[in-house]
Amino acid sequence: MSIIQSIKNRVRQRSIHVCYVNVGSCNGCDIEILACLAPRYDIEQYGIYVHNNPREADILLITGAYTEQWEDKLRHLWDLIPEPKAAITIGNCPISGCAYNRRGARIDPPVSKHIPVAANIPGCPPRPTEIINTILELAPVVFKDYEIKKEAAEKERKAKEAKR
Amino acid sequence: MKKVVDVSLPIGPVHPCFKEPARIKCETVGEKVLSAEVELGYVKKGIEKIMVGRPWQEVMFLAERICGICSVIHNMVFIETVERISDIEVPIRAQYLRVIVNELDRMQSHLLANYSYCYTIEHETLAMYLINLRETVIDQLELITGARITCAYIIPGGVRFDLRDEDAATLSAALDKCEKDIRRYVKIFEEGPLIALRSKEVGIITKEEVIASQAAGPTARASGIEFDNRLNHPTYQKLDFKPIVLHSCDNYARIMLRFLELFQSIELIRECLKRLEGLKGEPIRGGGEVGEGEFTWTGEAPRGGLTYHVKTNRYGHVAEISVQTPSIMNMDACAHYMLKGADSAADITAVFISSDPCISCNER
Repeated sequence: MSIIQSIKNRVRQRSIHVCYVNVGSCNGCDIEILACLAPRYDIEQYGIYVHNNPREADILLITGAYTEQWEDKLRHLWDLIPEPKAAITIGNCPISGCAYNRRGARIDPPVSKHIPVAANIPGCPPRPTEIINTILELAPVVFKDYEIKKEAAEKERKAKEAKR
Repeated sequence: MKKVVDVSLPIGPVHPCFKEPARIKCETVGEKVLSAEVELGYVKKGIEKIMVGRPWQEVMFLAERICGICSVIHNMVFIETVERISDIEVPIRAQYLRVIVNELDRMQSHLLANYSYCYTIEHETLAMYLINLRETVIDQLELITGARITCAYIIPGGVRFDLRDEDAATLSAALDKCEKDIRRYVKIFEEGPLIALRSKEVGIITKEEVIASQAAGPTARASGIEFDNRLNHPTYQKLDFKPIVLHSCDNYARIMLRFLELFQSIELIRECLKRLEGLKGEPIRGGGEVGEGEFTWTGEAPRGGLTYHVKTNRYGHVAEISVQTPSIMNMDACAHYMLKGADSAADITAVFISSDPCISCNER
């Protein structure tokens, strides 16, 4: 591993920028994200910063059951986020639609159908500690040796093509 | 046609200041706002449609999930409507317990609203103090009801859990802490020169404009309208409830009114705790069966009047339901009157947040 890669690994795990988007929740989960900012949980001591700006985000937090209006917008938002990136869904709604998943509701869960999701946090709503815990557990998996993994994947893809 | 507008400035739907998706479209000349429009519809799920035809046991939980910030009042108003349809009596101890939980919920909602405003005008110190105090209130809510946000505490004919003596002691200790802290924060808010600069004389809505736009709740009371739906509630009438009214009509008045209502809520909870002392051992749940009927009932949500119109059939299923939430009027008042003439683009979000919009409530 090169020196620059080890620096990148170290730095990325201590500065995780988060953007959250509500795609049709009851905002119970949104205020649990806000509660993470409180000095009691103190999300910034772990190096997680809530900016709500997709262009500088690393992790996208998604709440809600995916209403029709977000069909093109969520994909667009996801494309704005620079690599490496990961999406975490919060609450039961993005997984199954929770209480809203009945005939006649204008929702289209799960969210993983529309964009790649790395982790789900179940709960209605989950506690702030669970949200922080998930972000901290997921960050090393996504960000560690990102460039090396990307190169390996590229090589594998090329090898497969050559075989064909 | 002559073009008078410089820039049409869209804000949202994903914006650092907004908790929920909404879009404000402003027509500006320089930085002065000529007119504004709020575009909604990003979180429309159609809850009222899926409520129809279901038994009240299911609708109760759906009603609570209309809004995560003010979930207790949605639960309370729906259950009170159902009780009035089928003439279910509520034991007196349960009535006071309902008021305690409702006022705790109002406290956390007002603290969150003031946090959002302070965060928007970049006074992060006060914002962090307020959101930390909200955790104390949420802890009490969790202690009594068993959940932080969606607690489903109120059921037809009473409440789910009793208040134990040790919980009552913890609650009154927490209230003392809250009162002391809020007094300090109100002083910071009153004396801060930055806050006065950003809040006073900004986002003015006069009494006549409030009547024209039918704004409700703290937005109306900060413009001199003496109305609160809690005046019509039988339990609050027993507690001698009087609404707080301010007359300066600007952002400062709206935030200050929420601070003053926090003190009022604390006083109401203390009075309830005092009365519960004399009602020890009394039942918290009466009997009753949900029957056929139709009724409209209004309660006071943290943002204004919340109306439920419910029609049930003889099996206790909901045949028709319609919900009217206060935020849509407040947001309309904000777009048409408060934002008009705002001097800078930075004030647009501050004014919008000061009316405490709850978009999930609106769109359902």
